[in-house]
Amino acid sequence: MITRRQALIGGAATSVALQAPALLAQPREVVIGVIFPMSGPSAQIGRDARFALETALEIVNGQYDFDLPTARHAGLPGLGNAKVRLVFADHQGDPQKGRAEAERLITQERVCAIVGAYHSSVAATASVSCERYATPLVIGDSTSPNLTRRNLKFFFRTTAHDEMFSVAMFDFLDAQRAAGKQIKSIALFHEDTIFGTDSSNVQRQLAKARGYNVTADVKYRANTPSLTSEVQQLKNADPDVLLPSSYTTDAILLVRTMAELGYKPKNILAQAAGFADQAVFDAVGDKLGGMISRASFAIDMAAQRPTIGRVNDMFKARANRDLNDNTARQFMALIVLVDAINRAKSTEGAAIRDALAATDIPGAQTIMPWAGCKFDKDGQNATANPVLIQYVNKQWVTIFPAGSAVRGPIWPMNG
Amino acid sequence: MNETMTMAAASAAPTQRAAGARRAQLPILALVCAVTALLPLVMQDVYLQNVLILTLMYAALSQSWNILAGYCGQISLGHALYFGVGAYAASFLFAGYGITPWLGLLVGAVLSAGLALVLGYVCFGLKGHYFAIATMVIAEIGLLLVHNSELFGAALGIHWPLGADSWSSMQFARTKLPYIYLALALFVLTWLATYAIEGSRWGFWWRAIKDDPEAAESLGVEVFRSKMAAAAVSAFFTAAGGAFYAAYVAYVDPESVMSFRFSLLFALPAVLGGIGTLWGPAVGALILIPITELTRSYVGGSGSGLDLIIYGGLIMIVALVKPEGLLSLVRPGGAKA
Repeated sequence: MITRRQALIGGAATSVALQAPALLAQPREVVIGVIFPMSGPSAQIGRDARFALETALEIVNGQYDFDLPTARHAGLPGLGNAKVRLVFADHQGDPQKGRAEAERLITQERVCAIVGAYHSSVAATASVSCERYATPLVIGDSTSPNLTRRNLKFFFRTTAHDEMFSVAMFDFLDAQRAAGKQIKSIALFHEDTIFGTDSSNVQRQLAKARGYNVTADVKYRANTPSLTSEVQQLKNADPDVLLPSSYTTDAILLVRTMAELGYKPKNILAQAAGFADQAVFDAVGDKLGGMISRASFAIDMAAQRPTIGRVNDMFKARANRDLNDNTARQFMALIVLVDAINRAKSTEGAAIRDALAATDIPGAQTIMPWAGCKFDKDGQNATANPVLIQYVNKQWVTIFPAGSAVRGPIWPMNG
Repeated sequence: MNETMTMAAASAAPTQRAAGARRAQLPILALVCAVTALLPLVMQDVYLQNVLILTLMYAALSQSWNILAGYCGQISLGHALYFGVGAYAASFLFAGYGITPWLGLLVGAVLSAGLALVLGYVCFGLKGHYFAIATMVIAEIGLLLVHNSELFGAALGIHWPLGADSWSSMQFARTKLPYIYLALALFVLTWLATYAIEGSRWGFWWRAIKDDPEAAESLGVEVFRSKMAAAAVSAFFTAAGGAFYAAYVAYVDPESVMSFRFSLLFALPAVLGGIGTLWGPAVGALILIPITELTRSYVGGSGSGLDLIIYGGLIMIVALVKPEGLLSLVRPGGAKA
């Protein structure tokens, strides 16, 4: 006679035995952690990042005839067509929380790598956790130059950092000067957090090295309620080029205050951020015709590279808006990481790390204007060359460098 | 736990019984210590250990705040300043000069106490809301100064160098155990300081000032000196907590250690648990910190903000139903204070 317990055990054993071959044949699952600000003042960034990464996930797990690594296979061929799963975590822009969430993703969720993080301060602490657990961290959109100067082995950044961006901006100014345009004086206008501090420090050095006269150097408190005295300083200096480094709300306030005080800059060359955010152009776009911003992403390149347009369509179906600087870079960070996992043929941190270090994706297989994706010894993608885009007739047009430009710049910006 | 913890009850009850019940708090502390120290043996998940560390740390910091606000009645909304001084002192000395964070902690704590005396000298002329507003403004000025100080890395902050595990540098790569014991030690020290103060002449003076400064002064209480002493002790322990936090996170920047958010985070547990009580801050931290951390981690990834709704709702319920704090639920006489 068989007792109920024996029957249960027997049944369980049989089902395990039956499932075992199926388990072996079934592709393993690759789990990747994602840390972004999903709540708090930067929640919108996290929400958009989610759309971008889910778009990338759909492409990786499905079969698409896109010129992107791993797109043409469903899942990862290097790992028996394993599917990728994302685990999202919220760091609220707080370095302590970012560190704790990275640890939780690694130890509880058993992720094999992490993508993030928007805030450079969070990337700084999360990267230390990842280093300690030998888990690769791929940063798509945190641009403080110091992040890749800490001798970390498991830290990789696909985007250009702020120094590379500023160099591109001054290369453009040099090119204009060489073309006979008059550019003598510039004015720096920047907020006081990591972003504005880093950006203005580099711009100050470059201006000095390349012989531009800085006639105003205005620092302001981020999220300030008034910029009247700051704009007055700019108006008095009236430089040939104004270089703002501002986030969204400050950028809107700056443009409004300039209009109120009747100051029309000769040229604006912005360090993206707020000046790459659609919210600014919805609010004060009519006053920004002809302004130029550095950018990581150029949607008008879709004309030359159809993949960009098709990825954008997929993203737009989710997010109801076009890809921008942030979302395009977040998308690409996950693609670069998945490509490395596929080549590593493993979900071990060290193996993925080595595969990331050996990454060599040509620019044509990205959705970016980059020459490609290839990391230097510090984990920085040294070939992530930025572009400059100009806001003309409510459209962004790529104007620099020559290789990516759709047409030449309108300079000075008011024609 | 009986009704002897508050001043009203203490003065009403016979002194001997009060002293006896007060001493009964010590075994409770011993029990809490023992449970906390043994907890990591069964709770080996580093994420949960992280929650435990933060809970102990906020219990200690809220207790420090409670010394000034709960016992002496001076509501400060600027304790982030002292926290920042501690965090920056330890980080600056360790990252810049390789000086052990233990010394950095002490330097920060002493600096903070001194700063509290200077600020107290200026601010204790202000009463009630005006004092609270002044503390808030001064903390904001401190934040701006650090934000603009190249010496302290301005907005970029200070990275702690990565190194081998060691007690002298307070750096441990994967194990959380040392941090648990450090946070526990911090909590026990602030608790013992509060306990000692509560039973001393100072403790009675401070509570008298909280109830009615004029009446206290007319009875010979040294009001100004009492406030100064409370501010210095409170700032000392808050800075020690800041140094611990800096060592734990291994990175400081102005926004992440000196923002107004911290001033609120120190006050909330004490208010929730019971302001001016020995166990209020610990009870408040034990409820608030795990809820914030766990809701963020397990429902926050969705981006729906549900975690913040739960957190805000809880605080509203306590404010409406039990404004004296949760401890008054278990201590029927406590609400009288």
